Amino acid sequence: MAFISSGYNPDKPMENRITDIGPRKYDEFYPEVIKKNKGKWSHHEILEPGVLVHVAESGDEIYTVRVGGARLMSTTHINEICEIADKHCDGHLRFTTRNNIEFMVDSKDKVEPLKNDLKSRKFAGGSFKFPIGGTGAGVTNIVHTQGWIHCHTPATDASGTVKATMDELFADFQDQRLPAQLRVSMACCLNMCGAVHCSDIAILGYHRKPPMIDHEYLDKLCEIPLAVSACPTAAIKPAKVTLEDGTEVKSVDVKNERCMFCGNCYTMCPSLPLADTEGDGIVLMAGGKVSNRISDPKFSKVVVAFLPNEMPRWPSMTDAIHKMVNAYSNGANKYERLGDWADRIGWEKFFEVCELDFTHHLIDDFRQQAYMSWRQSTQFKF
Amino acid sequence: MAKHETPFLDQLESGPWPSFVSDLKQQAEVRAKNEAGVEFQIPVDCVEDLLGVVELSYKHGRTHWKHGGIVGVFGYGGGVIGRYCDQPKLFPGVEHFHTMRVAQPCGKYYTTDYLRSLTKLWDLRGSGITNMHGATGDIIFLGTTTPQLEEVFYELTHNLNQDLGGSGSNLRTPADCLGSSRCEYACYDSNALCHFLTNEYQDELHRPAFPYKFKFKFDACPNGCVASIARSDMSFIGTWKDDIKIDQDAVAKYIANDEAYPANAGAFRGSRDWGPFDINKEVINLCPTKCMWMEGDELKIDNSNCTRCMHCINTMPRALKIGDERGLSILVGAKAPILDGAQMGSLLVPFVEVNPDDDYAAITEIIESIWDWWMEEGKNRERLGELIMRQGFQKLLEVTGIEAQPQHVAYPRTNPYIFWKEDEVEGGWERDVVEYRKHHLR
Amino acid sequence: MSDLLNDTAAAEKLVVDFLTKKSKNKSKFYIKDFYKLFPDDKPRMIKKVINKMVEHEILEFWSSGSTTMYGLKGAGKQAASEGED
Repeated sequence: MAFISSGYNPDKPMENRITDIGPRKYDEFYPEVIKKNKGKWSHHEILEPGVLVHVAESGDEIYTVRVGGARLMSTTHINEICEIADKHCDGHLRFTTRNNIEFMVDSKDKVEPLKNDLKSRKFAGGSFKFPIGGTGAGVTNIVHTQGWIHCHTPATDASGTVKATMDELFADFQDQRLPAQLRVSMACCLNMCGAVHCSDIAILGYHRKPPMIDHEYLDKLCEIPLAVSACPTAAIKPAKVTLEDGTEVKSVDVKNERCMFCGNCYTMCPSLPLADTEGDGIVLMAGGKVSNRISDPKFSKVVVAFLPNEMPRWPSMTDAIHKMVNAYSNGANKYERLGDWADRIGWEKFFEVCELDFTHHLIDDFRQQAYMSWRQSTQFKF
Repeated sequence: MAKHETPFLDQLESGPWPSFVSDLKQQAEVRAKNEAGVEFQIPVDCVEDLLGVVELSYKHGRTHWKHGGIVGVFGYGGGVIGRYCDQPKLFPGVEHFHTMRVAQPCGKYYTTDYLRSLTKLWDLRGSGITNMHGATGDIIFLGTTTPQLEEVFYELTHNLNQDLGGSGSNLRTPADCLGSSRCEYACYDSNALCHFLTNEYQDELHRPAFPYKFKFKFDACPNGCVASIARSDMSFIGTWKDDIKIDQDAVAKYIANDEAYPANAGAFRGSRDWGPFDINKEVINLCPTKCMWMEGDELKIDNSNCTRCMHCINTMPRALKIGDERGLSILVGAKAPILDGAQMGSLLVPFVEVNPDDDYAAITEIIESIWDWWMEEGKNRERLGELIMRQGFQKLLEVTGIEAQPQHVAYPRTNPYIFWKEDEVEGGWERDVVEYRKHHLR
Repeated sequence: MSDLLNDTAAAEKLVVDFLTKKSKNKSKFYIKDFYKLFPDDKPRMIKKVINKMVEHEILEFWSSGSTTMYGLKGAGKQAASEGED
């Protein structure tokens, strides 16, 4: 393959350089009916799971068909999305915050052909390319992080856990039978580059072993002060270490009991790898929300302290999620989010009806806020 | 014939949900066949090798990527994340496999022409693998080599009028909900504000100026579809001050269970039958401030006690509309748990008008006063929320020049340990002990 | 802006001297570490000068993804360990 220059001159990086131009302007991409009716929408309606109509004050309508998708997406797949949007939607589409794709048409008669086209497209392996759903009182797409596809500190995979979970919850992606919307999120380590801490159900990758120390190479590959200062709990100190062959090298010492398994040291220093087959796995959290509807936004709580990584489909994890969704569906009132339901029945009941074990790991002991979560009342259920 | 056997990943092809494995395999095949005659600038089999390295992770239960901090485009402190495979001999196609963050358009609307220009560029100069979109909001180009970074950037800026997004100690690419473009709940034009501030602060977005990351997110109403209150240092949430507008005829239609007036705009149309809509049970009794009631056939709202939670509007969107005196609330300091625990955004500005005519001056003034304080006082890797915890909410009010008001707290403090300042106490702290002793013997 | 910061050559020399002196132990620094070199200036102004030094190819960035640090161009062990030397 011959190198093709874009016009960039590596010897003069500032020559003709264009910077600070930001993203493309949103209104270049609005469909006509959006452009015309922006700010003048009257109301909307979900006609069936995954299909919405928005009605403007002018009487104009826009029909939206929402489909799920893996956020990890090839250009081949994006080109196919473009082909669909060209065929049905005058070359416009949008993505939602939760990795769904929205195809919009300006009249009702265009909806069925669009839906039929979307439903007919499957990957060679058999899964849907464009499953319709993700609206209303159901499960929508999972927001997630990179995992083993591209991250250096994940404790689990993201795309795989998400695929396994969405297969398990697929009926609820295409239905609206739940008491309220149910948002599932996934982050592959505690740094949560996808913030999952306010989700109805959160899947979180978690390491449980402090980093290994590659003493022989550490001082060659890393700057020790940077490794030391990378640690948020001050668990790393400079140390002199004698190797097996008797040579003394500069390295570090990790105070294991202070380690919170964040991997920040590995980011700074490749001689402090963290990943471990048995040590790494999944934490499940539940009961968070970001909406201000009825009750305040709230944080998710840890409900399963650890599950092992069970490749490729994480059955213990999907089983626990399945149990939570079912118990919530059976027990909650209409409009009640998972966390509001758990608060109402009490978390002691939550563990009972979800058939989840309560262990000492689930009692907070991290810094100030721990006390707030202990029970300061005689009101509890047996 | 696949380059690597992938028995674990193959098991993620079945089931109804779109399989990323099938998509990667399809991409690998398209590259191998290369019917479009692309002169691939990175190894043609990089997607095969990506499948191979992920399969190895499924076998080991461990990642095979290393971080790289040096690579980037010239002059920018963010927008590129360096990645290297720790098994380059086995998977040479992904030995260097860096991520580029491309700033997404506000509202995430696209034309197919534009998307195709992106895919064409990324097929030529990268793996053709993307995230649509990353957690912060950017379009993510996943996987290219070091020499291609500048080439991609040059083509983006010169041919596509398109810049990179943020990473590192920068302003991160701001993200918004679709706002008034297609939503009747929108209290302001989130696309316009997000786009304006993204451009206004391009320097902060590309060149590190801060102790740590800083995120803006824009929710046009309290439903919070982009989760700004949970994950942005400054969260801009639409709200209104005047009365919810009531269409009593539409209220009657909801009560009568008219087909065209489904509860919650049809969000419960599914396999479960919740029975007929009951306005008392589903709206009035669920109102968190109990400020609604029926007077005969008329729905009444005591708006002075409404906290604009959106429940009644969400449930009867054809009957109830947001007010007309619109603006936004600013909440600050939200972050994920690392390190001192998660923080939700705390209300700083209950209401500010959203005025594009003066370039949103009321909003930029608050942003810049907060940045000045955080840049000066924030420790390395300290998020704004942590600085507020360390120096106090009062300090935040002081630096932003905002008067304390009861809206700032859920409830007042439960300890009396107020650290009074000398100038707050009559007569100050200098006292005459001799005078005191005249009345109080030793 | 102080006279010191305004004098590009002097400001750049101060930064380079500071980094050279420290470079035995570590090569990467946070933006805050430069504040004390320019006690009379606002962080925003200091940041502009430091970032100009990147454009002048005196300094370069190193990013952990979540934070960005500055160092003398080519200094430190990162380039070798990341195979970008």
